[in-house]
Amino acid sequence: MTFQVSMIAIILGSLLGAVLGIMKTLDSRALRLGIDAYMHFFRGTPYLVQLYLIYFVLPSLGIAWLQFDSYTAAIVSLTLYTASYVTAIVASAIDAVPRGQEEAARACGMTKAQRLYHIIVPQALRLTVPPMASVYVIVIKSTAVLSVIGLSELTRQGETSILRMPQDTMFIYALIAGLYFVYCYPVLRFARWAERRVGSSAAAQENA
Amino acid sequence: MNWLNGIYNFRIVSDYFETFLNGIFNTVWITLVCLGLSVFFGIFLALMRMSSISVMWRTAAAYIQFVRATPLLIQIYLVYYGLPGLIGNFFDETQTGIIALTLHTTPYMAEIIRAGIVSVPKTQTEGAQAVGMNSAQAMYHIILPQAIAKLISPLLGQAVVLLKDTSLLSIIAVFELMGAGLIMFSETVSATESYVTTAICYLLIYLMMLVASGFIQRKLGGTATYAT
Repeated sequence: MTFQVSMIAIILGSLLGAVLGIMKTLDSRALRLGIDAYMHFFRGTPYLVQLYLIYFVLPSLGIAWLQFDSYTAAIVSLTLYTASYVTAIVASAIDAVPRGQEEAARACGMTKAQRLYHIIVPQALRLTVPPMASVYVIVIKSTAVLSVIGLSELTRQGETSILRMPQDTMFIYALIAGLYFVYCYPVLRFARWAERRVGSSAAAQENA
Repeated sequence: MNWLNGIYNFRIVSDYFETFLNGIFNTVWITLVCLGLSVFFGIFLALMRMSSISVMWRTAAAYIQFVRATPLLIQIYLVYYGLPGLIGNFFDETQTGIIALTLHTTPYMAEIIRAGIVSVPKTQTEGAQAVGMNSAQAMYHIILPQAIAKLISPLLGQAVVLLKDTSLLSIIAVFELMGAGLIMFSETVSATESYVTTAICYLLIYLMMLVASGFIQRKLGGTATYAT
């Protein structure tokens, strides 16, 4: 369940974040302000609060399709959370592509969409890999919080077994920690490896 | 205003004004204490990580990797249930929470500090040695002062992460901002007012930190690369 939820959230969040990130670099002021507000909200509040907002508060608005069960709420909140980080990464990667590239493309008579698709995004893409991997680790770790809304992911499973075997509390928590470690450590290693490959300090500044 | 009261009732919220004020106060001081402790221990961990003695840097690296690859919630549980077994019920919830959060944040601080130290050119160390300083003196007088200027920006980013992380302490019954929201919810059963208010409070603290960090960075003349 942890694997499934985190994968869906990572994929959806990356797509949404990529779209928002590209939109943020367009010349529309209103668009940029909107996306900034979204990013500040999701990066300025704890994930636990966001989860509660989506799981407990949205249903009380009385709109039928916002009545999430815990699984949907988990996916929606984690996707929005992921996207807020991905947006920042994509936007700063696009900004990192030298202006001359865009100007040259315009001189060749490309439209804005063509410039983005053929020139800017392919160059920006490789810059996004290392910070993206770090964000994925954050997302995977955040799934532990989902146990508070009763989703039976790894942490929750552990808590259920603790109810059955209370004398093994420490062992079970250590086991959960170990399982998360097995899941996250390779991604972290990959992030470090990719960072060295890309070899830019721009990537290193992104993750904190 | 009636339609708004249907969604978000200000009168209920005002009853809990003091609860939230206390929650904010606790969140802020817990964050500050953890920040101070983790920077303090982070310096030692960073130096350990860079030590040439194999046992030292391997221990430090293992600890850093463990903390980075496991969820904070699990770490809090491990400390909360593990600590009493090790030393008895010596600490209350808040102190246990501070210990867990410091253990969690220290490796991140250590990595930030290490990056800062590494970024100081090697010639600086060599210069210090040339004027007869030993390595501790060189670190204290020459390297750290230069590293600190570069550290401010990522450090503030980590401080924001820390602020958000304190919310998880509510799960081991530490009364902070999230705890205030939970108390209000358990007494009024109005999810919207409780959790929206909590979110607004966090946002306000976050925005204040954002403004403050922008100010500090302008003062220091550093680059404004702000990322959380």
